[in-house]
Amino acid sequence: MDVPEQVNMILDDELGPEIELTPALIRKRRSQTRIIFDRFMRNKAAVGGAIFILLLVMFCFLGPFITGHNQPDLVRTDLASLPPSFPNPFGTDDVGRDQLARVMAGGRVSLLVGLSSMLVALIFGVGIGAFAGYYGGLVDNALMRVTDVALAVPSYLLLFVLSIAFANGSPINIVLLIAVLSWASTARLVRSEFLSLKEREYVLAARTMGAGNLRLMFRHILPNAAGPIIVSATLLVGGNIIFESVLSYFGFGIRIPLASWGNMVAQGQPLYDVAPWLVFAPAFCIFFTVLSFNLVGDGLRDALDPYMTER
Amino acid sequence: MGRYILRRLIQAVPLLLLITIFMFALIHLMPGGPEAVIFNPRLDAAGRAAIRANFGLDQPLPIQYLKWLRSTLTGNFGYSFQNHLPVSSIFAKRFPATLELFVLALFVALLCAIFFGIVSAVRQNTVLDYVITIVSYFGIAMPAFVLGLFLQDIFAVQLHLLPVSGRETLGMSYDFFNSLLDQALHLVLPVMTLAFLFIAGWSRFMRSSMIEVVKQDYMRTARAKGVSPIAMLIRHALRNAVIPLITVVAIEFGGVAGGATITEGIFSWPGMGSAFFDALNARDFPVLLAWLTISACFVIVFNLVADILYGVMDPRIRYD
Repeated sequence: MDVPEQVNMILDDELGPEIELTPALIRKRRSQTRIIFDRFMRNKAAVGGAIFILLLVMFCFLGPFITGHNQPDLVRTDLASLPPSFPNPFGTDDVGRDQLARVMAGGRVSLLVGLSSMLVALIFGVGIGAFAGYYGGLVDNALMRVTDVALAVPSYLLLFVLSIAFANGSPINIVLLIAVLSWASTARLVRSEFLSLKEREYVLAARTMGAGNLRLMFRHILPNAAGPIIVSATLLVGGNIIFESVLSYFGFGIRIPLASWGNMVAQGQPLYDVAPWLVFAPAFCIFFTVLSFNLVGDGLRDALDPYMTER
Repeated sequence: MGRYILRRLIQAVPLLLLITIFMFALIHLMPGGPEAVIFNPRLDAAGRAAIRANFGLDQPLPIQYLKWLRSTLTGNFGYSFQNHLPVSSIFAKRFPATLELFVLALFVALLCAIFFGIVSAVRQNTVLDYVITIVSYFGIAMPAFVLGLFLQDIFAVQLHLLPVSGRETLGMSYDFFNSLLDQALHLVLPVMTLAFLFIAGWSRFMRSSMIEVVKQDYMRTARAKGVSPIAMLIRHALRNAVIPLITVVAIEFGGVAGGATITEGIFSWPGMGSAFFDALNARDFPVLLAWLTISACFVIVFNLVADILYGVMDPRIRYD
């Protein structure tokens, strides 16, 4: 990687040609992260999104313990369809289940499905993209044709068709389904990064020193492609949360009694005239969560873009 | 150019074949696939064998595929399990409704996106620009079913301005003019829902492409020779800035067969999407297979159209 000129001078003048891990070098390397971090922090919208995600995670995972609203499935017909009030801040549904507890439980499901499907998609996408870009030729051709197929079929149609066979309401299957549908764009991205990065001198240098193919791919090239991958991963989370909510809304995803924001909207919809709060809370949660992930993704893109001028 | 189009067309053929193979295998190998649906559980072994033979399911999968491919290429997609109609006739009945909805939404979205894109590019970093930016972020983050639900509630349920769902008022006979009006009113909400999602993405796109063009030298030349600012925007800048957007629209149009599924599901629009949900609930595999294949073909064809359009509209692009 390029060592800043200043460091080079220090090395040449004071320390001689052998490269040691001097305090100056360490400081310089940390400052690269620092620059990115500072750029990100300057983007108010992105910081707002990050803070919202942090608060949301705390709300969904710690909320039940702090507020005591920890029984999302408890049916109390004597408390049915109550509007928001102090004991039930988000109201109750038609069988008297506490909506705050359900929104938190649904949030855990939606966030976990969104995040883990992103991780699975990323593993597949990075793996396939890396092999295609690195080896080129026949491997590239074969892998990219599969990617083309995955990109050509409208994902909602495929998602619904797959879900009638494989989903049966289990969250793990839904994670895998969503991952199967979202790895392709990451694979494309990683492939194009690898195609250009593998021609760089540092790869040749590492190869000369005896680094094997796998080592070159995952220790040397991949870290240099990290920026675009991180950005696309962030945007994938938002997209996958929408996927999950659409699937659950149409009854092919997470099934009742297990709460998810998508199936809560679907359940609240027939009662919208008498109890609109049943739709509002989960709908706004989906909306703001996806918005936040998109804002953070865009903020990261700007922060990681080396061509963006310092303002 | 001609050779480029020809080469791309030839390249598209193996991809289309690959897609049909994948989709056919998916539908037939899925647990609970066609075999599980057409069998009456009380059928004995001999009855099963007879049905299998009747549907051609006793043959090896590759043979089944080739037979299916042959009939598909002649426009025969098989018969629906649900009502035994030819799939092609279901498609012929449903596609016009989807086309109407989709084309209208794309058209509205294109006009709005160009307008908002230009406004926020020209008034860059003003309050107006920020408002448009915020609204488009909202649009990107809003799932179609939430947006459709709220629009339905506000305009149809609360204000009684527009019909809730469907394509026309059932059980009413209007004269020509009123029936046209009735259909137009039914279109408004689905078109709004579908278009809003496109506008959100495209106006951002238009904004950045417009900002890029306005910086070019020829813009300054035009200004210097006395072209008025409005003419400069419309005649000089827009023509170049809109090129990338047109290709995006062409790609998006490839989603016509599958892209409106969710909107159609919310508004019970009697198009491809509603037929898809019917088929999904009935496990009507011939219809599902045809829908997957057709929608993928549209995507591939319009990706190609987008690439070609790009070359036609921007003579600087050279294909060798």
